[in-house]
Amino acid sequence: MDLVKKLLQGDEKSAARLISMVEEGRPEGFKAISLIYPHTGKAHVIGVTGAPGAGKSTLIGKLAMSFVSEGKKIGIIAVDPTSSKGGGALLGDRVRMREADKTGGIFIRSMAHRGYPGGIAKAAIGATYVLEGLGKDIIMVESVGAGQTEIQISALCDTVVTVVTSDYGDDIQLMKAGLIEIGDIVAVNKADKSGAEDTVRDISMHIGDRKQNGWKVPVVTVQSISGEGVEGLKNHLDAHFSFLRENTSGIQKKKERLKTMMLTLLKEEMWNTLMDKWSNTSEFQGIVGQLEDGKVDPYAAVHKASEMMFRT
Amino acid sequence: MGEQKRIKILIAKPGLDGHDRGAKVVAQALKEAGMEVIYSGLHKTIDQIINIAIQEDVDVIGLSIMSGAHIPITQKLFKRLGEEGVTDKFVFVGGVIPGKDIPRLKGIGVAGVFPGGTPLAETIEFLKNIVK
Repeated sequence: MDLVKKLLQGDEKSAARLISMVEEGRPEGFKAISLIYPHTGKAHVIGVTGAPGAGKSTLIGKLAMSFVSEGKKIGIIAVDPTSSKGGGALLGDRVRMREADKTGGIFIRSMAHRGYPGGIAKAAIGATYVLEGLGKDIIMVESVGAGQTEIQISALCDTVVTVVTSDYGDDIQLMKAGLIEIGDIVAVNKADKSGAEDTVRDISMHIGDRKQNGWKVPVVTVQSISGEGVEGLKNHLDAHFSFLRENTSGIQKKKERLKTMMLTLLKEEMWNTLMDKWSNTSEFQGIVGQLEDGKVDPYAAVHKASEMMFRT
Repeated sequence: MGEQKRIKILIAKPGLDGHDRGAKVVAQALKEAGMEVIYSGLHKTIDQIINIAIQEDVDVIGLSIMSGAHIPITQKLFKRLGEEGVTDKFVFVGGVIPGKDIPRLKGIGVAGVFPGGTPLAETIEFLKNIVK
């Protein structure tokens, strides 16, 4: 396949096209991924998650510049939400990556999540392979920042950075399941704001001596606008990547991640196949109608629909 | 489900012009019309705009120009697009564009010109028609 050959020689246009093909769900796109996949597995894939406005994009831009100064080649996949009204999206993460946007050797791709669960776009998975095929050493994936349910990003990424700010809430928020527990590194951003020290202390206490597969989660402060602390964060990222390669738990984790990713994609595939088959049938519409008219409750409607779909 | 082709548009602000309200209004309207819109941010060079258009693989590049420099900016964009071998993207221009310049812009290769005051529905309709 011509595009794959050009990609492996470092052609950005082919990379961009291949990502679009995966995004559009075109079979040629997935064939290309199968050809690219044997060339992957060496890049450090870094996920960055956190609430909207926490400073993820700005921080990624600064990290990218820091890696570039070491001669590393960087790919960035920035995922933003798709509107539930109309399916459009405004992809604005590049605006925050001004320096990186100007720097050669950094490939930034914005992506709408198109309703895929877990804070990333389905095509983000394929895009990381494409970018590694393009020769990138470090690939950073920015999640939509939806908040508490971003599990898929940890299936895709070697290292997950959770970005928080001092207005994250209180210790009850920390006790809830969510972002903090998927982070391999916690970065407290906007560290010049009052309360940042308290935040570091609270999160450190919350994490305590707990380890993620043998890795002690560091809590660091950064100021993504000025760049302060970014070097330190970068060192932790490098350390985590070495840790993963040198420890059996890291290898085991990678296996688990691949399985999680497959199951998530399979769930999506099954849903799409079933809905394509059933959603326009009168039988299915009938059940929806009964629900809308108040004749059945939502659980009963689901029960009827699944009986219909899975009867043999 | 979620995997069909969507219209992808770059809304770009070239040069030293810092007036981006119009660009943001248009970007928002296109988003609401179901398109995926990348906003470049302010003060982009032509080469940066082309670089973004390539990496994002957009269908359309929209330039928002309020500075009066729409002719030279557009000429330079098309010259560089040609040099880079990027021939698969439509270009449209909005902003403060005098009516007399519209034929010239179209002569340079611009697919559509939408000066301030153009109803948003008109721009949306145009984009839906050119991107098939």
